[in-house]
Amino acid sequence: MTKSRIVSLLVLAAIVTACAIVVASAQAAPFGASPPVTVSSASGGLAGWVFAKQAEFYRSLSTYIRASKEDGAAMWGLFAISFLYGVFHAVGPGHGKAVISSYLVANQETWRRGVVLSFASAAIQSAVAIIIVAIAAVLLGATAAAIGLTVRVVEIASYGFVILIGLRLLYVKGRAFLIACRELTWHETPVLAAASAFGGKTLQLPARLAGSMALHPGQCQFEGCAGHVGGFHCEHHQDHHESAWGHAHGPEPSELAGAGGWRRGLSAVAAVGLRPCSGAIIVLIFALAQDLFWTGVGATLLMGLGTAVTVAAIATVAVSARQAASRIANARAGVGMLAMRAIEVGAAATIVVFGTLLLAGYMATEQLWMFTR
Amino acid sequence: MTLTATWHRTSCAALMLWLTCGRAEAHPHVWVTFHSELLYAADGSMTGIRHAWTFDDMFSAYALQGMPHAKKGQYTRQELASLAQTNVDSLKEYGYFTFARADGKKLKFSDPVDYWLEYRNPALVLHFTLPLKAPAAAKVMQIEVYDPSIFVDFEFAKDRPVSVSGAPQCVATYDLPHQPTPAEQLRLSQLDSTPLDASSTYGETFANKILVKCP
Repeated sequence: MTKSRIVSLLVLAAIVTACAIVVASAQAAPFGASPPVTVSSASGGLAGWVFAKQAEFYRSLSTYIRASKEDGAAMWGLFAISFLYGVFHAVGPGHGKAVISSYLVANQETWRRGVVLSFASAAIQSAVAIIIVAIAAVLLGATAAAIGLTVRVVEIASYGFVILIGLRLLYVKGRAFLIACRELTWHETPVLAAASAFGGKTLQLPARLAGSMALHPGQCQFEGCAGHVGGFHCEHHQDHHESAWGHAHGPEPSELAGAGGWRRGLSAVAAVGLRPCSGAIIVLIFALAQDLFWTGVGATLLMGLGTAVTVAAIATVAVSARQAASRIANARAGVGMLAMRAIEVGAAATIVVFGTLLLAGYMATEQLWMFTR
Repeated sequence: MTLTATWHRTSCAALMLWLTCGRAEAHPHVWVTFHSELLYAADGSMTGIRHAWTFDDMFSAYALQGMPHAKKGQYTRQELASLAQTNVDSLKEYGYFTFARADGKKLKFSDPVDYWLEYRNPALVLHFTLPLKAPAAAKVMQIEVYDPSIFVDFEFAKDRPVSVSGAPQCVATYDLPHQPTPAEQLRLSQLDSTPLDASSTYGETFANKILVKCP
């Protein structure tokens, strides 16, 4: 057992590290060796097309805002373009897709909740941009430098919260993982003892195999479906299984399902959504300069809606992949459950890594203050 | 069996992490259309570059936010002086997005001089001169203007993007960042799996390039 556990752990650690390295190296300092990577995404394949499209939409926003000054009907064109820009823009970096997806994976959230949280995050993001511009620019007449600084402070707070949430998850999931490890070892002993009763030969079974064989029925009893030891029935109670596994040992999905769970989920998306989109800030100020602030507000809200659609789609993919993984894991019982716990630990670690990289500035995806700091 | 199962799970985990990993790219929110004038001394050596960068209208409006000005819709050079100062100060960190090579040898620039902002409704134009630390004479002078991190998108001005002053014997040509050929496209698509080594200059292929050839 120990060997396979070590193997899975090592592999997982390797993936997490590789992931972190890829992320970090892709966003080295502006004048490091990274240009090829960024350029590749700007000019190649589907990513390149999306990239070009979002830039095209963004650049046409100013034309539409200007047009809506003379012609009220142009506003609808502006809203349509804003929505499309949001959809395409969110495919790129930022916008907390990764953090939200990791959060959903780590917390065994349902796709429905994933969609709701994605929309909440985008709504918060739009609202923050509108509030910053409304207070700073409209009320106080602040300069771009002051607004840039405000955004920077909010951004740092956002990344800080992301790290905290990630660390908390990492602690909870790390504990669940260690407990799952212990459970696995604990289950082996009686089986091996039982096997030895059948004769010396059975004892030759590799410990790993014996462990997973024994755990299958064992797990079912755990879940209180001892009457239906058949694997089929057990799989149907997948969610039930998971909560039962973690329930005795630490805060788990059942806890998240309640009102408190929603609150925690919202705190996670709020942390992510706190960081306003630079594009929205610029569009709002541009609209304000044209005396069309409210049109800008409408455009920002539609950008947010577009962003939400993309993020929700990605979150749904992440959640379904996780569910597929958990189905496989359930079929394989013990070790599978351990792997699921490991995936959750990995997802929690990803949140911490992302938050740290963002905070350290290695992964800046947008810079608002470039010329105005 | 257990080994295959482990691999199965590992691939699952890899998929999950790939999903959450995401690709790190940058979004430009600043577009600059630029004109560069290459300054030559009487002895045929290049002394510096005079840039005129026109910002896109949305970024211009953003940068102008809160700038006190006497007449609506108009900004004088004096009213924009502090913003121009901020611009050149913050550009230092990025090496003014200007990279020069004399016969392949990298050149260094001093701090900009003679800088000011001009408001040409609806865009801001930043004028500044980048003097070379030491004047350089070269048969082939190569100047590139680009932001490797693409926070800023640079493109040559449509009409007369480049000019040379003080050296009628030299000829300036420019290359638009070219669309990748199929072979390059393929190489680019593989960059994620087989990255370039740190010393590679492949990315510069797609920069705005100016070449000045002197006899």
